[in-house]
Amino acid sequence: MDQSELHAVEAHCTQEAMPRCRAVCPLQMDVRAFMEHIAAGRARDARKLLERHLPLPAILIAVCDHPCENACLRRDLGGALAVGALERHVLATTPPQTRLIPRPPRQQRLAVLGAGLAGLVVAWELSRKGFPVDVLHEGDARDALRRSYPDIPETALDAEWTDFGKTPVTFLSSQYDAALIGRLRQEYAAVFVDMDAAATLLPLQRDDVDAATLHVEGNVCCGGWTDETPTGARLASASRQAGEGRTAAITLFRLMTGASLAASREQENDRRVLHTPLDGVASVARVLPAAAEYDADEAAREAGRCLRCECLQCVRECAFLERHKEFPRTYARKIYNNAAIVKGTHTANALALGCALCGQCTEICPEGFSMADLCLHARQDMVERGYMPQSAHEFALEDMAQASGPESAVSRPDPATGRCARLFFPGCQLAAARGPQVLRVWRFLRERLDGGVGIMLSCCGVPAFWAGNTPLFDEHAARLRADWESLGKPELIVACASCLDALARALPDARLRSLWEYLDDLLPEAAPVADAPVVSIQDPCGARHQEGWRAAVRSLVRKCGLRGEDPRRSGTETACCGYGGLVWNAQPDMADVMAARRASDLPHTALCSCIMCRDRLARQGKESLHLLDLLPMTAETSAAGAASRAPVAGLSARRAGRVALRRDVLAEYGETPPPPEAAALHLIIADEVLARMEDRFILRQDVQEAVEGIERTGQKFLEKESGHFVGSWRPRHVTFWVEYAISDVGCVIYDAWCHRMWLPGAMQPGKEI
Amino acid sequence: MSMEPNYGPDAGDWFCARCGERLEQRKVQAFYMNSAFDVLLPRCPSCGLTLVPKSLAEGKMAEVEALLEDK
Repeated sequence: MDQSELHAVEAHCTQEAMPRCRAVCPLQMDVRAFMEHIAAGRARDARKLLERHLPLPAILIAVCDHPCENACLRRDLGGALAVGALERHVLATTPPQTRLIPRPPRQQRLAVLGAGLAGLVVAWELSRKGFPVDVLHEGDARDALRRSYPDIPETALDAEWTDFGKTPVTFLSSQYDAALIGRLRQEYAAVFVDMDAAATLLPLQRDDVDAATLHVEGNVCCGGWTDETPTGARLASASRQAGEGRTAAITLFRLMTGASLAASREQENDRRVLHTPLDGVASVARVLPAAAEYDADEAAREAGRCLRCECLQCVRECAFLERHKEFPRTYARKIYNNAAIVKGTHTANALALGCALCGQCTEICPEGFSMADLCLHARQDMVERGYMPQSAHEFALEDMAQASGPESAVSRPDPATGRCARLFFPGCQLAAARGPQVLRVWRFLRERLDGGVGIMLSCCGVPAFWAGNTPLFDEHAARLRADWESLGKPELIVACASCLDALARALPDARLRSLWEYLDDLLPEAAPVADAPVVSIQDPCGARHQEGWRAAVRSLVRKCGLRGEDPRRSGTETACCGYGGLVWNAQPDMADVMAARRASDLPHTALCSCIMCRDRLARQGKESLHLLDLLPMTAETSAAGAASRAPVAGLSARRAGRVALRRDVLAEYGETPPPPEAAALHLIIADEVLARMEDRFILRQDVQEAVEGIERTGQKFLEKESGHFVGSWRPRHVTFWVEYAISDVGCVIYDAWCHRMWLPGAMQPGKEI
Repeated sequence: MSMEPNYGPDAGDWFCARCGERLEQRKVQAFYMNSAFDVLLPRCPSCGLTLVPKSLAEGKMAEVEALLEDK
């Protein structure tokens, strides 16, 4: 990603864009911060902010037309914030907060032609930068303002004229004649023509000049036009005139200092609007002052109605986005900077690795920001350039290798006919957790579909994709393709939404359809059940864009006599359970928060069509069913309640489940693979010990191998009182430690732990890495 | 990056099962990703077999591993 790509990505997140009030203000007054100060009783800070943003504050506050109030999102929710009245309150009740700092005088002098609001703003801005400014006016210096703003209080004029007296501004009474501009252009470094007070001198309309600079030609700028109402009346918009004064002042400053007039001024005209969700915002009526103006308490209450506009729609929904305490725009910047680190800590690795790549934010974001794309590209870069943390996805990729390896994988045509019009692809997690149901549904498909239904037990490769390991994904895809082509390129019947996605990438020329759509076609419509039990349908994030999948699931639920209810954030906006993007491996605690959060979104028993949704929600104590628990050909028990509380297969059991399913599948072909070798030692592992081990990604198989190895070498420690042994085994990048005791019935495992550090010469046995 | 220097066994009175010797706190080196650390761990004075207590593996060691992986 280069800088321009980063900017393109950042632009999709509006959280740092201006709220509507500020975006419509030609002076970009930070109304939101102003309100925050007043609401918190910090009137002096509020005044400081006014003085920082507004030129001629006393005059401007008195005459401003406050476009911010029109734009305020509170407008239809109790009435727009009373910005003008609050500004008056602050100005009246607090002393000035900024001291005028005299600048060293500059050589170049500026002429302002016409003492209208725009002209005075130019004088105000540039005199504060040390430029001597002569303001040429007809009649009384204040007449132009009085003419355009008849209600302007004399006190406001007095206040600003007093300030003008402290700056190098000189008011010169003058006669406007046609030759005046020409003369001033010669005498002064730059000239500003106020198009309200001195319009007769320059026959230009707003559209005739570049709005970004208000530059006319040479050393002349102009601005401050009046507007015309639809009925033809002349109307001066104070905010617009003052805004043009400021724009022109910047141009004039650049003119006089020899800088480019147009470069890097995007921010002045950046009017991207911050998206602000209004759902659930209650209407609160405007606070009206008891007297003519607000007192401090009234002002605080009125300012407290400010919505403090912000977007954060994705952040509120996603536990991952919330955890890092900022928002996608800053995350994009952090991930970009992370990639640029050559020596030092990659502090944003955790950011890139914590995303479930589920795409929910993209659906919720009004601008379609994709954290998934951002994080996936970051991971691909991390792998390619070798700074992906070793431990992040190692277990998941080993798991993938086991699922696609010789002990679990098989790829065959229909056992009865040898034909293979279709190929059932249950996915490696369903195969791991629900072998018997996979077998039964396959038999059902074979009975009911013509042309033969083969089976492919394998991982789809999505873990490699999620890990950003493109070479591994491609290599795996090539193996899938070879198997698929050898079966005659059959249509794939896919039972996992993530597999659908990965297979579409791996085999773009394959026809893919979900198992649920097939089953929905094959199962008859059922009579509606009165008082049908209600389930909350959990759409898997992989099915976000699989409309057919989602519709078939709902239909099947109905056919099974249940009423499926869509929870909040359903369908395309569904939330991930924490399995997506391998968060369960890289950041298990993050993944658990995602699962718990999703579980809390579902008021009824969860009905899942993805086994990982089912198992991860169930691990959070949520009653959860997989669709196979309901269907007539696969339901294990008639009581859905029992199935919804059925325990979740752990990591060790899942691997064993894949091996067992392969044996069962081969049995359909009349083949009996030799039984696995009996273990030399019988392990006794209590459920809670196994669960603790698996939380650390230590499998029963790892412990088996470790204890057998330790016993072979005899290199172990003994605690005399308990009789417990401790020993270690390093089969690969990880050293496993096991605390155990040998008894007549077997080897009792008390605990296991692991680390990746290597202690050479000190640890046994020495299968060194 | 510093590791706390001295880690005893988590609990109990540990002996080398092969040599029968009581473990002693001895200095050993731990390596990971081109970094090396000196650390005092329970070790058999006779054969040198060294114990990594669980509290160390899951505490400081895991922390340092994660830090080094983010380098």
